[in-house]
This record gives sequence, C-alpha cells and structure tokens, in this order.
Amino acid sequence: MKNSTRHYLSIAILLASITAFLGACAPSPSESSSKTSGEESGRKITICLIPKKKGLPYFTSCAAGAQEAAKDLGNVELIYDGPTDGSPDKQASMIEQYTLKGVDVIAVSPNDPDVVAPAMRKARAKGVHVIAWDADAVKDARAFFVNQASAKAIAHGMVDTMANDLGNPSVKTEVAIVTAYLTAANQNIWIEHMKTHMASEHPNLSLVAIKPSDEDQKLAFKVTQDIMKAYPEIKGFFGISSVSFPGAAEAVRQAKKTGQIMVTGLATPNSMKSYVKDGTVKSVVLWNTAELGYLTVQVAEALATGKLTDGASSFDAGKLGEKKIEDDHVLLGDILVFNKDNIDAYDF
Amino acid sequence: MKGGIRKVFAYMVRYRAAGLFLFIFCLLTLVTLVNPTFLEWQNLRDIAVQAAPICIISCGLMLVLVTGEIDISVGSMMGLLAACMGAMASLSRGNWPPGVVIPLTLGIGMLLGLLNGWLVAYAGIPSIIVTLGMLTALRGVTELIMAGTWITDLPSGIRFLGTGTWLGIPVSVWTALAVFLVSLWLVHQTAIGKRIYAIGSNPHAARLAGLPIKPIKVFVFAWTGLLTGVATLVSVPQLSVVDSGIGVGLELLVITCVVVGGTAVNGGIGNLGGVLCGVVLMTMISTVLIFMKLGEDATYWSRAIQGLFILGAILADHWISNQRKT
Amino acid sequence: MKQRIHHILWQPETFLALLVASLFGLMGQLDPAFIQWHVQRELSTHAWELAIIAIPMTLVILTGGIDLSVGAIMSLTAITLGMLFQSGCPLPLACLAALLAGILCGALNGWFITRMQVHPLIITLATMAAYRGVAEGISRARPVSGFPSSFAWLGQGLWLGIPVAGWLFLGLLVVMLWMMHARSFGTHVYAIGLNSTATRFSGIRVDRMLLAIYTFSGGVSALAAILLVARRNTAKADMGMGMELGVITAVVIGGVSIFGGRGSLLGTCLGILLIHETREFVSWHWNRDELNLLALGALLILSVVFQKLLRHKRATP
Repeated sequence: MKNSTRHYLSIAILLASITAFLGACAPSPSESSSKTSGEESGRKITICLIPKKKGLPYFTSCAAGAQEAAKDLGNVELIYDGPTDGSPDKQASMIEQYTLKGVDVIAVSPNDPDVVAPAMRKARAKGVHVIAWDADAVKDARAFFVNQASAKAIAHGMVDTMANDLGNPSVKTEVAIVTAYLTAANQNIWIEHMKTHMASEHPNLSLVAIKPSDEDQKLAFKVTQDIMKAYPEIKGFFGISSVSFPGAAEAVRQAKKTGQIMVTGLATPNSMKSYVKDGTVKSVVLWNTAELGYLTVQVAEALATGKLTDGASSFDAGKLGEKKIEDDHVLLGDILVFNKDNIDAYDF
Repeated sequence: MKGGIRKVFAYMVRYRAAGLFLFIFCLLTLVTLVNPTFLEWQNLRDIAVQAAPICIISCGLMLVLVTGEIDISVGSMMGLLAACMGAMASLSRGNWPPGVVIPLTLGIGMLLGLLNGWLVAYAGIPSIIVTLGMLTALRGVTELIMAGTWITDLPSGIRFLGTGTWLGIPVSVWTALAVFLVSLWLVHQTAIGKRIYAIGSNPHAARLAGLPIKPIKVFVFAWTGLLTGVATLVSVPQLSVVDSGIGVGLELLVITCVVVGGTAVNGGIGNLGGVLCGVVLMTMISTVLIFMKLGEDATYWSRAIQGLFILGAILADHWISNQRKT
Repeated sequence: MKQRIHHILWQPETFLALLVASLFGLMGQLDPAFIQWHVQRELSTHAWELAIIAIPMTLVILTGGIDLSVGAIMSLTAITLGMLFQSGCPLPLACLAALLAGILCGALNGWFITRMQVHPLIITLATMAAYRGVAEGISRARPVSGFPSSFAWLGQGLWLGIPVAGWLFLGLLVVMLWMMHARSFGTHVYAIGLNSTATRFSGIRVDRMLLAIYTFSGGVSALAAILLVARRNTAKADMGMGMELGVITAVVIGGVSIFGGRGSLLGTCLGILLIHETREFVSWHWNRDELNLLALGALLILSVVFQKLLRHKRATP
C-alpha cells in the first residue's frame, strides 16, 4: 500500500514537472508585442513572416522593420518564426502549420522554392494569402513578391562591384566564389547569373573555383585560405552568404593580402565594418533590410484587407511612400552598396 | 639502422596507426607531385591551425571513448561556449577583461562536461542519449542567448588567442601541443590514465577490483568539456564574427578523427598517436582536394571522395589490426 | 495476478502512454484548436517518414547496433528517383530503382558489419558521408522537380480518411509486429541484442540476420525517401539531412535500450507520437523554433531518466 502511494506520487511529480517545464516556456514576444495597438476594435489581421533561417542578423533586422510596420498599421498581429537550422523541409512544415492555424497572410522567404511550393499552394487553396519576400517563390504559389532586388540584379551587382573594385582589369583575372551549401537554391541561381554576366560583360574575370562553406564561418575561412594558396594568381573572392563573407574576408586579412585580393559579397554591415575600414573589403552589397520587412508587412496587410489586388501598378507603403509594382513584383528600390564612407550610418 | 626501422614499424603496428600513417604518406606524395606548393611552410602552418582545435577536443574525446562511453555534444557545447565568450568579451555587451573571460569560459565548459558526466555515471543514463539530448538542447540555448544577432566586436585581447603567434608559431598550435603533451602524460604516467583503460577494456573486472568507476567517468566528461572550452578559446577568435552556428557538425568530425585514429567505440583501445594521425588526415583531405585542382566537377564530388577516404582509412585500420591478430 | 498487474503497470510503454495522454490533456487546455482531428491529420504528414524509418531502426538498435546512414540513404535514393525521372524513365520504374538503391546501400552497410566486423556506429558514420556525397555528386547538388500530381497523392493524399503514408506505416508495423511476436525472428533479434556470441553458439545465423536487418533498414529508408519526394514534389541531395538523429531520438524515447535487447515496437510508436506532438505543439503554441530544440533535448533526457526509475521499480516490487 505504502509502495503504491509512492508510485502514484512519482507519477504526479512527473506530470507536475512536465507541466512546469511547458509553463516555464514564457509567452513569445510576438504575442505580447502585438497588443500594443489600442486602435479601432476591428478584426486583427494575423501576418506570419517566415525567414529562410531564424537567428541570422539579416533576418532579425528585417523583422525589426516588420515589427515597426505592424505598430504603424495598428490592426496587425505579427508572428516572426522560421527554422533555426534553415531547412527547407521544416520551412514547408511551418507553412502548413500556420495554414492550419488560420493566419491571414503568410509571407515566406523560400529557402528552396521547389520544396516549399506544394505547401504554399495548399495554403492558397485554403484561402490564406501567400506572398514571397526576400527571395522569390514559384510563380503560381504566391500572389506577390516583395522584391528588394531580383536574383539577376543581385548577381550582376556583385560582379559589377568586383570588377569595379579590381579597377576593371584588362588582363585575365582569377576570381572564386565561396557559397553557402552546394544545395542552397538561392545561391545557385545567383551563381548561374554571375557566370553568364561574367561571360558577357566582364570576360576578363575567370571563375576558377566555387566552394561551399556549409554555412560555417570557419569552413569559409579555410576554403578561402586553401584557394589563395592553390591559385596564387587569384585576385577576388565573392562571399555570397552572410556567413561565408566575413569568413573569406578574415582569411584574406590574415594572409596579409589586404588590397591585393578583393572580397565582396552579401552581408549585414555590422559584421563587415572592420573589413571595410581596413580596406580588405571595398564594398558590401545589400539593401535596406528594415525597409524590406516594413514593406512586406504593408503589402501583406493591404492584400488581406483588399486594398491591394492583382494587376495593381503601384502601392502606397506608408512611410516608405509610393512603391512601383511591376508584373507581380513589389519593388523596394535599388540595392545599397556600403563602403568606407557610408557604412557607419547603418547599424544592423 | 635496419633494426631501428623494424622497431619503428613494430611500434606502428602495435599502435594501429601504421595503416593511417601509410595512408597519409601516400596522400602527401600524390598531392606534392601534382602541386609542390602543398609542402610550403605557409600551407603547413594553416593546416596546423585548422587541426589545432580538433586535436584538442579529440584528446578529450578519445578518453571518453576509451572508457566505453561517447560524447556527441561537443559541437553544440562549442557553440554555446562561443556565445558565452562572445557575450562576455564583446565591447558592446559585457566588455569584461580577458583575464575574467578565459577562466569563465573554461569553467562553463567544465561544468557542462560535469553535467554530462554526472548524468552518465550517477543518473545511469547511456552517454549517447545524454549527449544527444545536450546536442539539441544546448543549440537551443545558444540561439536564445544570441537572440538573432551576432557578436562582431571581439576585443583584441581575445582575438590574440586566435590570431597571435609566439616564436612564429600560432598560439592555437602551441596550445594544442601543450594539451597533447598533458594528455600523453595523463595516459601514460598517471594512475588515472591506467584506470581509464582498465574501465574500458573490462568494466566488470574494474568494478571487482574496486576502481572508482563513477568518478573516473565524470572526470573524462569534465575533461572533454574543459578541452572544448580550450578549443573554443583558441579557435573562435580566429574569426571576427561570433555567429550562432559555430560548431555545427563538429561532433561528427571529431568522432570521425578519433575513430579513424584507431580508437575502439567499445572502449579499452585507443592511442593518442593514432588520434593525431586521424586529425591530420581529416584536416588534410579537403585541402588536398583543392590543391589537386580537379576542376569544377570535383566540387560536387568532394564530399563523396572525403567519405571514401574515411571508409578507406577505417578499413585499412581494420585490416592491419586483423593482420596483427593472425 | 497482482504481480502481473504490477508488471504491466511499470512497463515503459504504460508510462509513455500516460505521458502522451497527459500531453494531449495539456495541449487541449492550452490550445483546443490544436487537438482537432483535421489539424492532427494534417500535421501527421510531417512525421510519417520518421515513423517508417523508426521501425527498422528499432530492430537495428534491439540487436545492439545503430544505423546513422538512414538520412544519407534517403538523399541518395531520392536523387536516384529524381535523376531517373528526369531522364525520361517511367515513374514506377524509377521508384523501384530507388528502392533497389536503398536495399543495396543497406546491404553494403550490413556486409561491412558482418563480414569486416566493423562496429556499426563507425561504418555507418563513414557511409553516411559517402552516400550523401555520391548523391551530391550525381545530381551536381541540383534539385529535380515537376513530378506529376498523381505522384503527389502518395505523399499528400488521403485514403479512407487517413494519409496514404500512414497506411504504409501501419502496414509495415503490422507485418513487423507479426514477425516479432509470432515468429522466432523476434526472439532471435532480442537474443542477438542481449548476447550475440551466445546466440551464435546456439545455432542461430546471426550474421545473416544482421545483414537482413540492415538491408531492410536501407530499403525502408528508400521508401521514406519516395514518400518525402512525393510530399515535397522535389528530389534533392540534402533531403533527410539530420533524419538519423530524429529517428534515434524517437526510438530511444520509446524505451528501446541503446545497448540492445530491450524495448518494443509499441514503445517506439509511442516515442514517435510523443516527439511528434511535442515538436508540433511547441512551434504551434509558442511560435519559436529555438524552444523546440530545448524541449526535445530535455524530453529525451527526462524520459530516459524516468524509464530508468521505472525499471528500478519493476525489478523491486
């Protein structure tokens, strides 16, 4: 008898501890911060913003802009969540989950357009508005694409910047790319565009190596070191993810090749400031991420309230003013090129 | 002279590192024939710097494997330690002096190791489960600490650990050397080293002999945690940015090194020379593949080639040890 | 009688069932919408591949082994399927080829383990890198997409109100339960896990059984890969990345001893249910993916601690 009491006690303790554990997971900021509106009593619009990978400063700064838009609009409840490991499959699962939850708009930055397309189509079939932001999705799987810069523009921007930084070389110059994963869809599209652009516009840039960094700064550092030694004539590196760029720049700096080998690519300004200041990196290509997040939420809200419909050619994005819509792309504007003179003005 | 060579060979066979050594030698010859710059001082130095943190952790992990346990949490542990170190040292966050940050980082590493060891030895949970749980949980904690931003302003005092040199040799390589020597001493000269092997090769006999099995198990896990802290200190400041993905997949690399180096996962067998060979081989492979200049196709096949190398090294090691038995 | 009740009461399965029940209770309290049937049915699609692979993984772990290469086999077979489809091969044939590729991969693992006497952990660690590498190499890391919508039915469709993949899982489960309980096969699996040398000396062909089990694991991984390709309508070399850890976690939470010889398929099923529901609910309720990592790690360690306490209880009535 005494024994069995102990048994039941242990079960009770177990259940209590589990409940306590689950209860200890504090409510997320999205829930608490969304109650800031206090404006009209109308129905709240739930917008779900899904980044490629949660935990990257790039997306965190986008989310800050999105949060601001939600506050400005007042009738928006914003959820910001994405896979911490950047897995496309998990991203698709999240889209399916938010569809079931019955949010109004899902804004996705697809990690792999093909993998998430079925989930996005399913969401649309169930009446959820789906838009793509940051990176485009399969065309029929989304209503609009909030386009900060097309894949082509990004690729061309990087190649042109590199050519410019190298002083538009007149002799054959070796360059290499340090990418994220070999299977990273966005990066692969950029690489294709970069190759064609190099062939047509900058025939003197010859691409000698493309190496994956597996989103590991250390590996990016290592492969950059190896490429510099294996190809002593190399003059430029593209770091085309926000992890591989600082890794590549650090390798060039430590090899004391600052000024001789140019590094450029995509990254948030904070992580590149020291390299831009000492000249390892002349220019960093990016766009205003906070405005991208802001615009995305504006578009999402307009879509849900019916202010924005198919075929519109312009869009009033609150504090950002009038934005052009081409085809079904809502254009943010030009890409930003950070250099020594302007990088201190940005903090993200 | 001839006797000397035979002695060396006998030593290698005895310590199972012979196959590996041959493997590395062939690889070196091959890559030097294709691209002689491989043997340049600068390149060897870079390889040594890359190998240093892996070597440091492997020295600890080998002991864990020798006791018959396993630790697959070192990758996430390094991620968490890097986040802690960054948060404490960063100019805009903690801005604590290196004299405080270094012991604290080592201390947290050792505490995490102690926790692993306690759960294994005293709570009696299989080590693969404890450390698998830690692998996931610690990564979650790291994400929470970093909160979506990276640390981009490490002070120069901490950066020195990763980028500084002494007598022309990087600090990290000195550290790895020191750790290796200490481990050699620990394994060969101390009672605890002999007990670690005793526990692994025959746990039942060890228990009957009255060896303090539980404290020793706790010790090897805490030691691994401490060494993970050391590796974090000398490897993370090599880069200017502390991100939340540091150490992802590191556990597999380290285990591969240790296992390729001839350590038995069932415990009882393992030697530091072999582990060092394993570390050298594993850090060399990808550099070798770049130096061979195999063209663009090789980029896509490099993971497969690396896999085959691991497979080859393991099978060669097994073949050698079978030769020895017969 | 009382002894028997006591025995059943303190089985890990009973404990897990209670845990699952209380989890559902908690979820119902916090978020009633979550435990609706159509929501659960839809969310279950995220777990079928894991569940299917967990069946052979249970057998592998029961024999005292481990198979880390299941995720890599998934990617290799997905790529086999995708590349064949792209080159104009009819889809059923491509699926068959993928299954064959998976069986071959599994058999290779088994061959190394039984013939070369390499520890399963080591060899599958190596083949994990090799298989995924080959998948990356032959596909040049490019995805294959655009499968016909009839194929998507396999991964997304329903039959008699239950996802097709779920039926496949159930079918496989029933067959394996029959094998484990009605045939000598089951007893032998446990025997190998408890003492493989003694089993060998009692005339059971241990090597042949191990070879069969690892081959089965490879084949089932291929089946899971086909389902995943059908569900996501894409074949890609990074599919199934990290799957091995998820599957092992589910099996171990289900009370299967990592040293072999103890555990059951029923426990594994409960383990899958527990891990799946926790994962989905944490991201459903808190919208924060990083909490999921914490919850899963803690769940794994805590559940094994409690199972250990229970075993203690069972041994001392």
